[in-house]
Amino acid sequence: MPTVAALSLIVLLLCLMNNNDHNMIPVAEAVWLTIPSTGTKCVSEEIQNNVVVLADYHVVDETVTEKPSPLISARVTSPYGNNLHHNENVTHGQFAFTTSEGGNYMVCFWVDSSHHDASTTLSLDWRIGIAAKDWETVAKKDKIEGIELDLRRLEGLVQAIHMKLIYLKKREADMREVSEATNSRVAWSSIMSLGVCIGVSVLQLWGGR
Amino acid sequence: MEKTLRRRHAAAIYMVTALLLSLISRISSLSVTVNDVECVYEYVLYEGDTVSGNFVVVDHDIFWGSDHPGIDFIVTSPADNTVHTVKGTSGDKFEFKAPRSGMFKFCFHNPYSTPETVSFYIHVGHIPNEHNLAKDEHLDPINVKIAELGEALESVTAEQKYLKARDARHRHTNESTRKRVIGYTLGEYLVLAMVSALQVVYIRRLFSKSVAYNRV
Repeated sequence: MPTVAALSLIVLLLCLMNNNDHNMIPVAEAVWLTIPSTGTKCVSEEIQNNVVVLADYHVVDETVTEKPSPLISARVTSPYGNNLHHNENVTHGQFAFTTSEGGNYMVCFWVDSSHHDASTTLSLDWRIGIAAKDWETVAKKDKIEGIELDLRRLEGLVQAIHMKLIYLKKREADMREVSEATNSRVAWSSIMSLGVCIGVSVLQLWGGR
Repeated sequence: MEKTLRRRHAAAIYMVTALLLSLISRISSLSVTVNDVECVYEYVLYEGDTVSGNFVVVDHDIFWGSDHPGIDFIVTSPADNTVHTVKGTSGDKFEFKAPRSGMFKFCFHNPYSTPETVSFYIHVGHIPNEHNLAKDEHLDPINVKIAELGEALESVTAEQKYLKARDARHRHTNESTRKRVIGYTLGEYLVLAMVSALQVVYIRRLFSKSVAYNRV
């Protein structure tokens, strides 16, 4: 029966969608990084205050050998040096936090064991702000579906764009103030250096007398 | 008959929702430090998807010259063909149609020894076209329009991320200028004061009485 087939397909799709630990549907959400065998690989982003950060990472097993998956360690640091997340010797992990200070947030990965000489591939799914919003919960709570949910999502996106534009405008204003301060400082220092030169030569004449 | 139709309609809505939710593909703009070569991989689901993005070299440590050679950006398809190349740039936007599905490689090459921080953003956008519409009877033309609208908003977001990265680079330059102005001014005064003091001491010694007596 076509209804049963359609329903089973939907159930299957929803099951696969809710299975966030294993990316069964290869959705192009994550970026792959190569972790070198020695040293750390760090990625960072400048995030403003009070923004939700959601990330998921797992080691990609490319070779089909009997060797066990390489284990990686991860650490997330806030701009003031606080350790937000630390995981040692895992194949996958996730972290979520809300930023309490604006600045550069960095996540570093490294390979602990010295078994693997080759570099490891890691899949990192890093979302901040509106991209980290759980739309399935919103759909269930407000009982909206389909086109209405899509439009709601687009409305959220437009609001996020608006907020970001205001933020960019403020940053540009701050930077313009710094530029103008530097400009006036250059003018002042040129005049003052001329004055210091003249003063020093007068002192020299008086000192030589 | 009415009930089955309604159930089918609800089922279709759920499937479309699930499908469209899976089309949300966005990552944040990340920054990575490029020492020599740094490669980032991104999976493209469908052939013909538009891959767009931008990158900006944020941390440029040039001391003397103002013309930095920049970094090279090379995009390689899963078949090891070069899809997109930009050489010697300090930041650019890119957009291309994926010739096939698979894992694409985005590489930044730094020709110089000083490490550079590059902030990049890659987005893979998919719009269901008429072929998908014909195949899938539950996909309305309105879903295509909504996907197009979503993609347009994504391009605005991408532009904003580019502006933010450029602003960060400009801020870095400004900070460097400010530090240089303060440093050089202070250094200049110190050197001036020292040199003039030395000159005074030297000339005094030249005309001091002991030297004058020795000359005679």
